[in-house]
Order: sequence, then structure tokens, then C-alpha cells
Amino acid sequence: MYRDFGTVFFAVIMGIVMVSIPLIISWLIAPSNKTKDKLDTYECGEEAEGSAWLQFNIRFYIIALIFLIFDVEVVFLFPWAVVFKEMGLIALIEMGIFLLILCAGLAYVWVKSDLEWVRRRIKYGGGRYKPLSASSED
Amino acid sequence: MTNLQSLEFFIPELILTITILAALITDLFVKKSKTNMIGWVLGVGLVVVGLSVHNLSSAPPTTLFLDMIVIDPFSSFMKIVIILSTLLVIVASWVNDELEKYRKGEYFTIMGIMVMGLFLMTSSVDIIMLYISIEVVSIMSFVLAAYLKLDTRSNEAGLKYVIYGAFSSGVMLFGLSIVYGLAGSTNYFAIQDTLSSLDGSANPALIMALLMIFAGFGYKISSVPFHFWTPDVYEGSPSTITAYLSVAPKAAGFAMIIRFFHQVFSDSIGLTSNSIGSTDLPWPEIIGVLAVVTMTMGNLVAIQQKSIKRMLAYSSIAHAGYMMLALPVLSMEAVESIMIYLFIYVFMNLGAFFIVIFVKNKTGGESFEDFEGLGWKMPIVGAFMTLFMLSLTGLPPTAGFVGKLYIFKTLVGAGSEFLWLVIAGGVNSVISLYYYFHVVKVMFLGGKRSDVITYPPSTMFGLMIFTAVPSLILGLYWNPLASWVKDSLVFYNQVM
Repeated sequence: MYRDFGTVFFAVIMGIVMVSIPLIISWLIAPSNKTKDKLDTYECGEEAEGSAWLQFNIRFYIIALIFLIFDVEVVFLFPWAVVFKEMGLIALIEMGIFLLILCAGLAYVWVKSDLEWVRRRIKYGGGRYKPLSASSED
Repeated sequence: MTNLQSLEFFIPELILTITILAALITDLFVKKSKTNMIGWVLGVGLVVVGLSVHNLSSAPPTTLFLDMIVIDPFSSFMKIVIILSTLLVIVASWVNDELEKYRKGEYFTIMGIMVMGLFLMTSSVDIIMLYISIEVVSIMSFVLAAYLKLDTRSNEAGLKYVIYGAFSSGVMLFGLSIVYGLAGSTNYFAIQDTLSSLDGSANPALIMALLMIFAGFGYKISSVPFHFWTPDVYEGSPSTITAYLSVAPKAAGFAMIIRFFHQVFSDSIGLTSNSIGSTDLPWPEIIGVLAVVTMTMGNLVAIQQKSIKRMLAYSSIAHAGYMMLALPVLSMEAVESIMIYLFIYVFMNLGAFFIVIFVKNKTGGESFEDFEGLGWKMPIVGAFMTLFMLSLTGLPPTAGFVGKLYIFKTLVGAGSEFLWLVIAGGVNSVISLYYYFHVVKVMFLGGKRSDVITYPPSTMFGLMIFTAVPSLILGLYWNPLASWVKDSLVFYNQVM
């Protein structure tokens, strides 16, 4: 038992050592020439501005939730595809029901206009947002 | 039983799933003013679910989905209680003016999903299934508590509920993981086998685990000291949701506690100091003290409330305490008395909340001032409220009396070491008399007498009748209920 955990412990130690050696080497021999641009927060090449603690538009979260649904769908589809041949028709029906439920979710967010970034009012289903007004900005 | 064979016994839940989807899709095709229709969809679906639960209740107890959940008469009873309370709350949601500003499609759909979670809570016999079902119920109730999104109090209720819920379910999960570590299995029956053969060396871990698990259970039934979310959440939520939260999750929570302690930790006689593994702690006394503290706290703080909704929130804490009184005994009679109490509590508590909703529709407030002179302005409503208050106090000849009678009978029958619980329960009933009758006093003695008599609208009147009749009849003639509960008193794997 101690040997088993010893292996894990050794792997941890090796991981720390192997990461720190290059860092130490570069700290020792690399030239240090700090400018403002180099020390700035990296933001995909653009100049960073403002605080990071600002209010995000709530719709980012809704988009993330919708993404999550289909992410999970793929997670379920992979193991299903592996055992599909052995299980046959029942597996097909089961996955069909599962996908149908997810499609109901997609239809729901579609009609509720959660897939549209620009707000709009729709007749049925009500929509979640007020129409775009002059004061709002995103 | 394998997964495919189980489907035959899972029909109620399958119908419920279809109902939820139907409700979700119906919402896409109706205008805002017509969203009550989704309540119809859910209501009709739930009636069908109830019928199929009833059909299955006579099936032999068995486990489904590779020992994940069980189906037995006990869970069928709880499911029918849950369906009844949900149906009543759906009807009340049609006439609740607070919800007028909002689309109710998601409201009803989420309620349906919550019923699904409650069903699984009553029947799960696997730690993982238990946790998932609790989370389904919790997350749906967070959303429902915050449903009035233009009302800051409702938002506050939702946020507080999320924070308390996340914390207590985290603690409970930690406790469950310790139990898993001790037993090496997530299945209740396997856990029971392993724990009963443990020697004393695992005691500290077992005690820690039990305390942590009780944090999660206590949060669900709002027992002291895990009750702090209750008043704020109950006050801020839409009144219909307050009514719902005070009965349905509580019923499922008690079902869950009974199943967990009765099947995992107790021997055939009941909960004794020897039965939980081999710990030497006096478990019956600990739970008994918790019960007494819960009801005393609930009753004493309820006295000081200005708002009737908040008063009813504390009174629901006190009622959780009354039901917990029977937990230390945990024999079959104790389970029976809890079931009878729960069934009666559903009607009397929902009835009281429906009257609060009605008065809020009329006067726009829910404090004691809004109830002044109600007995003269609306004699029918006043009479019903008096009945519910009598029943909640537990005075004969109302149903609440029968509920308390069964609980005290169990305690007296269980032996002299439980007598102090009976005394504590009796003293607390007297305390509760004060604030319940304060409502009656305000209604009939306060305010000005009025010659104009207001009658409740027919839907509201129907709801009051439907909750008041059981609250009265079950106090005079409770044999059908008692025999139904006795028939339902069958657990899977009853022989331990």
C-alpha cells in the first residue's frame, strides 16, 4: 500500500520539479527588460481598460446554459455510440427520447428569443426582454 | 430489477415527464393573459399521475433501476400527499393576484419538475439518488421563491434560499461521502449491513457523518438550528409558493428522513443508542431535544410577528417540531403518526395560506391590521380561518387534534423515557394557542363592523371548502385515513 502511494507521491514531486526547473533557468539567464506593455494584463492583444469587476450582461449566462445543454448531450452521445451495436433498437429509441427532450428545450429558447442577441418583441411566447431602448447599452 | 423491467413500475414518473414537456411546449403557444392554461395541463397530468400511483400502490414492494429507488406503499402514500398539495396550489395560483404581472408558464412547469424531484426523494434508497433528488427540489424552489422578479423581497428570498441551500447540501454531501467511505457502498441496504458490523473504531467518523447529514435533512424540514432561511424565504416568495414550500417539500423531507434513519440506522424496535452503528451517543435524546427546541423556537418567535404570513412561517417550523417528536421512537407506530400528521397538516396549513392569499388580493397586505374586522366583512372567510386556526392549534373536534393525539399516543406508548417530550409538546400547544387565537381575536373583535358583506369568488371558495372539509371531518371521523395509513405502512426490506 505504501509503495502504491509512494509512486503517486513521486509523480507529484517530479511534476513540481520538472515545472520549476525551466522557470528557475529562465529567471537566472533571461534578460529582464520590463516595460508597461509587457506587464499589462493580456487581453487578446488589445489594450486592457477599465476594471474587470463590471456587470456582465445576464444573457451571457443564458447562452452559457444553452451551450451546457448541448455539451452534456455530446457527453451522453459518445458512450451511447460505443455500445450502440450491442443494444440495438432500444438504444436508438432511448437516445431518440433523450434528443427529443433536448430539442424541446432548444425550441423553447428559440421561441423565447434567447438565441437572438438583439432584443425583440414577439407575439407569442412573450419574449424575455423589453425592446431595445435608447438608454440601454451593451 | 434491471433498467428496462423497472420502466413498468416507473409509469407515474414517465407520465409526469410527458406532462412537464407538454406544459413547457404549451407555454410557447399561448398569450400572457392565457397562461393559466398551463396550470390546466399540469393539473390534468397530475391527476393521471395520481391514478397511476394509486394503481401501483398495491404492487409488491421492489427496488427499481438496479437498487436506485424503491416502490412501496409508503412512497405511494407520500406521492399522493404531494400530488394533492400540488393540485391545490395550482388552483390557488390561478387566483393569486401577485402573479398577475408575470407569465405563469415557467412557474407551472417548474412546479411540475419539483413534483418529479419530490417523488424521487420519497423513494430513493441510494445516497446518490437521494442527493440528486434533493437538489432537483432545491433548485426548483430557489427559482420559484424568486419568481416575482420585479419585487425585491422575492429576489432576496431566492438569493437567501440559494445560499442556505448550497451550504447545507454541501455539508450533507460531505457527511454522505464519509458514510460511503465507511460502508464502501452508496446503497442503503449495503450501508446498513456494513455499519451494523463495524466496531467502535469508526465512531468519531460515524458521528460526524450523521451530524452533517442531519444538517441537510434539517434544512429540508426547517428544523432548528437549520431553520434560519424559513421566515425570510416564506415572507418574500409568492404566497402560493410559500404555501407549497411549507407542505410538499416538508412531506418529502420527512419521508426521506424516515427512510434513511429507519432503514439505515435503526434496528427493528426503533432508534436506540445501540442501533446507529455502535456509537454510544444517546440519539433518541439528541433528536428529542432538537424537536423540542424546534417547536419552542417556532412558537415563541411566532408570537412576536406582525405579518400573518411570517407568523405562519414560524408556525410551520413549530409543526415540523411536533412531527419530529415521533422521530426518536421511530417504531412503526411513530411512522404512522407522522404520516397521519402530515396528511392533516397539508390541508390545515394550505387552507390558512389560501386565506392569506385571498385577504392579500382584497386588501393588498398580509399583516394583522389587514385582518381587522374580517369576521364581519367576510363572515365565510372568517369562519374558515377560525377553523384552520383551531386545527393548527390542535383543539378538538378538528383534524389537528387527531394528528397531535396520534403523536402523543406513540410517545406515551413508547415508554416513560419519552414522557418529557409529551409534556413539552403539550406546553407548546398552549403557547401556540395564543398567537393562533390572536388572529381570531383580530378578525372578530378588532376593526369596525361593516354592513357590506363580501363573498369570496367561487374558485377561492372551492379551495377553502376543499381544505376546510378535511380539516373538520378528519377530526370527527378519521378511521378511513387511519386504515389507509396502516395499509401504507409497508417498507421495502422491512425485515432487518
